[in-house]
Amino acid sequence: MAKYILRRLGFMALTMLLVSIAIFTISELAPGDVARHILGQFATPEQVELMRNQMGLNQPVYVRYVDWLVGNDWRLNGLVGKPLKQYKATTFGDLNWWAAEPDGTLKQWKVKKGVGLVEVRVTPGGEPEEIPFDGWQVDENGEEVFWGVDTASHVVLWRRSSTEQKVGPASAGRAMTEASGERYYPIRKGLLRGDPGISQRTNKPVAPTLARRLRNSFTLAGIAFLIIMPLALLFGILAGLQEGSRMDRVISVLSLITTSVPEFASGVFLILVFAFWLKLLPGAAVYASDIAPWKDPKLLILPVLTLTLVEIGYVTRMTRASMIEVMNAPYIRTAYLKGLPYWRIVFKHAVRNALMAPITVIMLHVNWLVGGIVVVESVFGYPGLGLYLLDSALFKDINAIEAGAMVMVALAVGTQLIADILYTFLNPRIRYT
Amino acid sequence: MTMDAQTASDRKRNMRRLSPTELKRPKESLRDRMSIILRSRVAIIGLVIVLFWVWVAIFAPVISVHDPLAQDATAINQGPSAQYLLGTDALGRDVLARLAYGSRTILMLAPLSVLAAVIVGTFLGLVGGYFGGLVDEIVMRILDAIMAFPTILLYLIIIAAIGPSAINVVIAITFVGAPGVARLVRSLALDIRVRDYIRAAELRGESPWYIMFFEILPNARGPLIIDSMLRVGYAIFAIGTLGFLGLGLPPPTPDWGGMISAARKYIWTNPLSVLWPALAISSLVVGLNLFADGLREESTRYQ
Repeated sequence: MAKYILRRLGFMALTMLLVSIAIFTISELAPGDVARHILGQFATPEQVELMRNQMGLNQPVYVRYVDWLVGNDWRLNGLVGKPLKQYKATTFGDLNWWAAEPDGTLKQWKVKKGVGLVEVRVTPGGEPEEIPFDGWQVDENGEEVFWGVDTASHVVLWRRSSTEQKVGPASAGRAMTEASGERYYPIRKGLLRGDPGISQRTNKPVAPTLARRLRNSFTLAGIAFLIIMPLALLFGILAGLQEGSRMDRVISVLSLITTSVPEFASGVFLILVFAFWLKLLPGAAVYASDIAPWKDPKLLILPVLTLTLVEIGYVTRMTRASMIEVMNAPYIRTAYLKGLPYWRIVFKHAVRNALMAPITVIMLHVNWLVGGIVVVESVFGYPGLGLYLLDSALFKDINAIEAGAMVMVALAVGTQLIADILYTFLNPRIRYT
Repeated sequence: MTMDAQTASDRKRNMRRLSPTELKRPKESLRDRMSIILRSRVAIIGLVIVLFWVWVAIFAPVISVHDPLAQDATAINQGPSAQYLLGTDALGRDVLARLAYGSRTILMLAPLSVLAAVIVGTFLGLVGGYFGGLVDEIVMRILDAIMAFPTILLYLIIIAAIGPSAINVVIAITFVGAPGVARLVRSLALDIRVRDYIRAAELRGESPWYIMFFEILPNARGPLIIDSMLRVGYAIFAIGTLGFLGLGLPPPTPDWGGMISAARKYIWTNPLSVLWPALAISSLVVGLNLFADGLREESTRYQ
């Protein structure tokens, strides 16, 4: 069993690797690029080129993939000549990359208008201070150049002649605080070392946003799940007790109808009824950025209800099918012939066996649940993982897409594994080796 | 995205019940098949709804007085009126005309994408199931990897890569649907290939391709047809979802999913213009599923 789980985990890692490579490749082949998205319609080709340079998009795709996967600070060390370290200089600032001196001081460099290159220096615990810069080195062409770390976590090649004249086109976009360097390499820690990078759409680190979005989606799906399961199992068992009875037909048709109505349509119906005509509930679920969704439960009602409507029919039908199968099994007939009371046959013999299939199959259903969540979140503007992924995909924000996709694939493959393991416990006849 | 999962489970039951008897059963006449449909009230209701939309699609130019793309600046976001029976949208376009022409779009794209998925899936399933061994292993592992993806993520990635357009929607749905078809066909092929008439064909010296497409495929058609019918409902569901998420047809084309997402913004000023397309797509998917499900129930009940 341990061997089997290990093999499955290996398969999961392999799947995630393949998926991440596929996404990188596809986004490379796809038309349009994120630099253009960030700068907007009216940016000049020069500005776009500058942006691409800053974002490291001019490097070959395999270099960017490896950087994304395992990071590149260990590779870029050599250019700067000092080890690179992450450090948070001010309380509200971001975690940035700095070049570390042997004595523990950390350094960054930036271009100041009218001054040229200056050095920003900080000792751990202290306040950052700016001091004049005099570290120019002479390259093979006799020009004065310098490799350093800028304030936005790039390793940059500066050339003295250009830093003193040129200051970046600050109006072109929020990320272009400096455009004075000649070459830019964004420093990455790499996904395998726990850093999914910075979202190009929001210009913020992916990890905290993703965690918050994941929490919101789990809240939504979790509440829906708690409502769906008991109801669906109850309806499924009632319908499956007697195939073809009136109760069965009503439940079957109703569950078929609710699963057939797309989430965006049922969401719209619910908004119209409860928000527009009855004016009972808010018609959207828009939260202030950091508020946890359970602190404003009224906003959650309609999204949860939409998700419930779509999913409940599926689970009901699964349970019904399983129940019908069990009720036709020989051991149920035996129980009848032994003269056991009906309720005892149902509860002791039928239901327990009938629940085995739906419980495991529901785990496999996560793939579709995820799809439903994307649509529900999009209908209500609910800040969950699905909406994050959708927005990122439309923006071609590769770091966010990759991170979101990895979470989703891990969830999908992981739940399948759990379902298989669960099944061996529920059904001792199955053994995996 | 629920439909596919549900059909996957139903398919399993289906195959178990259908395949052994289906294969031995003599050919049904058209009349027999019609009587199966007519026996199920649910199937009839479904069929009526579907036929209604087919009728709308065929007679779209007659039904709609206005051009679905024509914008009337004097009538923006209006409720129903004598001039515009179902009202207008945010650009002053006739909702009725857009609904009617939207049914054309969706009723053309959905069967087309299912057909493509069935062709690709059948081919892969037959090759894997008949040849077996390494070929089967490679094909099935790749398909497993595709199926491990959350469906919506696949759509997102594919459409983000190749851009939203009618043909790309078909490609995306084919890509997502084909592995399921391939699995079904493979399991049927595994079952059929050990039968005597396949042995006979092999002894006659028929080529593997002849055996796959003229011996195995015709005998696997029963479950495959019902599976395809359920897939049409799912494809409509998917096309609507893609349209709603902004991954469907590019804007001026009338497309129900896109209409809903556009009208969603004006739900407080013009609630009806979002209601109509939502009702339209719901009724069409419900109709198709009622029909397919009723048909399946009836065809498996009396065996």
